[in-house]
Amino acid sequence: MSEDGQQPIIVLEDVCKYFGDFQALKNINFQVQKGERIVVCGPSGSGKSTMIRCINRLEEHDSGKIIVNGHELTNDVKDIDAVRREVGMVFQSFNLFPHLKVIDNLMLAPKLVRKTSKAEARESAMRLLERVYIPDQADKYPSQLSGGQQQRVAIARALCMNPEVMLFDEPTSALDPEMISEVLDVMVELAEEGMTMVCVTHEMGFARSVANNIAFMDRGEIVETNPPNEFFNNPRNERTKLFLSQILSH
Amino acid sequence: MSELSGWWDDYFWGAMVVLRVFVVALVMSVVFGLIGSAMKLSKSRIAQRLASAYTVVFRGTPELLVLLIIYFGAAVTLTSIVQIADPNVKFVDIPPFWAGAFAIALIVGSYMTETFRGAFLGVDPGQLEAARALGISNFKTFIYVRIPQMWRLALPSFGNHMLSLMKDTALISVVGLEEIVFVAEMATSVTVKPFTMYIIVALIYLAITTVITLSVMALEKYANRHLQGSR
Amino acid sequence: MSFDVSLIIDSLPKMLRGLGLTLQLLFISSFIGLALAVVILLMRISGRWFLSAPAAVYIYVFRGTPILVQIFVIYYGLPQFELIRESIFWPILREPFGCCVVALSLNSGAYVSEILRGGVLGVEKGVLEAASAVGLSKRQRFIYITTPIAVRLAIPAYSNDTISMLKATALASTVTLLEVTGVARTIVAETFAPYEIFIAAAIIYVTLASMFQKGFGLFEKRMSRYVKDA
Repeated sequence: MSEDGQQPIIVLEDVCKYFGDFQALKNINFQVQKGERIVVCGPSGSGKSTMIRCINRLEEHDSGKIIVNGHELTNDVKDIDAVRREVGMVFQSFNLFPHLKVIDNLMLAPKLVRKTSKAEARESAMRLLERVYIPDQADKYPSQLSGGQQQRVAIARALCMNPEVMLFDEPTSALDPEMISEVLDVMVELAEEGMTMVCVTHEMGFARSVANNIAFMDRGEIVETNPPNEFFNNPRNERTKLFLSQILSH
Repeated sequence: MSELSGWWDDYFWGAMVVLRVFVVALVMSVVFGLIGSAMKLSKSRIAQRLASAYTVVFRGTPELLVLLIIYFGAAVTLTSIVQIADPNVKFVDIPPFWAGAFAIALIVGSYMTETFRGAFLGVDPGQLEAARALGISNFKTFIYVRIPQMWRLALPSFGNHMLSLMKDTALISVVGLEEIVFVAEMATSVTVKPFTMYIIVALIYLAITTVITLSVMALEKYANRHLQGSR
Repeated sequence: MSFDVSLIIDSLPKMLRGLGLTLQLLFISSFIGLALAVVILLMRISGRWFLSAPAAVYIYVFRGTPILVQIFVIYYGLPQFELIRESIFWPILREPFGCCVVALSLNSGAYVSEILRGGVLGVEKGVLEAASAVGLSKRQRFIYITTPIAVRLAIPAYSNDTISMLKATALASTVTLLEVTGVARTIVAETFAPYEIFIAAAIIYVTLASMFQKGFGLFEKRMSRYVKDA
């Protein structure tokens, strides 16, 4: 835990990442303060997902520094585990454990990683299911739920570990349009409770109302970072302008 | 390995017999598989039932037992037929080559039936509709749209069936075909070096199955060339 | 020639006496084979070449050669060596039953480890990422996520393999064992009624095979209760 409020909770310094010859991240410098909500957007293939996947080391960066809550991400397994306990992640395709009931999806990590007692894990799991408005689905299997419900379970599963930061990797991209709002509502509430969030999304309405800062990425670089008002009304970079004109024209 | 001298010839000709059985049985099994799958996909109930019975029976019966039924059964049947003409005949010998190839083909054909059926159904019906919408005739659709995709779908399990078929050929030694297991038996009785003699058989089979595996891999690569580069 | 149905009915009880041996061969070899398969699988996916390479060679050799030849190498071949005859394994390798169990187990180990590997590779990458993201260790991911999903994915292929094993037990008759096929062959030698006797034996095998298939089908259904449309 950082006692000092000034200390950013996530720091990326000159981070580079290659897939073979392709450079997915080019000298990324990026910081997230505690309680901050950052939306990352940009065209597909711009490195958004890669960047947030580096933050909990689902991808390994090739050079530069990533520090999460005081732990630098190296090959040290202890630090990686520590970071993963403090960083929750929500995926585009939910990635719920298909063989476990909803409640067991939520209880697995607290039991195995935090060594929480079964009763305690169940209690907090139920509390979280209530928070995402699906306590009645606790004993179903993920495949029996709608996409929106599954994504809410996935959010609850991440919250079960009491993370300091939540990462969202296009959480609504795989959803049918009518289910997007039920997931966004949960995310907005989370933001209102003061959760630190880094969110890759194309939901510009969400970005406008929730984000402190919007980072625009293109071709592996962060092109500009600005508060929503500034970002939408006064984009500085040509690439940002082009992207905004494409995404906001419909 | 000096005990092997004098036997190389026999192993070579034995291996040739194995390859001949393999080719003959492969052709027959493809025919059985095509007939079986056509029956399974046909609208006739009777044809469907017959094909199902065929696959259940030949996939559930040990290969050795099928071989024995065909070999001895054919001998008994032919003997009794010949005895009608000439009551003095005691026993008609069946060539183990043909009995063996036929038996193995029946077994592998039952597996091919499922493979071909799956490949036939595996072609996306949307593509057939697209072809129809473009005004391509049914026959041309079959030749140009269905077949090219079918063989790609069937190839992996077809390769596995070829491997089982190759290994099944070893059984035919039991009814006296002079292939490599038979050669090893002969050689053992002379040299009393059974391990050496049977290991040679294993190595010959391993070499042949390796060639089959590599060919199928090369074919698969060729068949899937249009899928490469997509992530 | 005549087809004598009563001969089938008469010979069935005799052959059922061979059934015990058939099932012993099947169950003992499947059990040892499964244990072996798990070890081989772990070696193959260990990511260490000195473990994965021997495992790959073992699988390659046993899948590339006929079981009949394997049985002959073990039963007729191994006694060629003094070392084997004086080893502690000799009591097993001296007996045709022991040899068949060894050959069938080794064979099953090779095939089943590939089946299990197929299951492991079939587990969706995203699900494993999610498990990492909530902090599960590599070992915990393997035990709690990969294993249960891989087992379900492997059942159909494992069911087929069990039936192949059942059929392979018939090869034991070539080294004098009197399991179902062995009994059938002795009766045929006495009566020379190959159709009736061998068909009776085939009925036993087909019945057994269908029973196994049903059993595995039920098991798969139970394991797939969490899959949509299952």
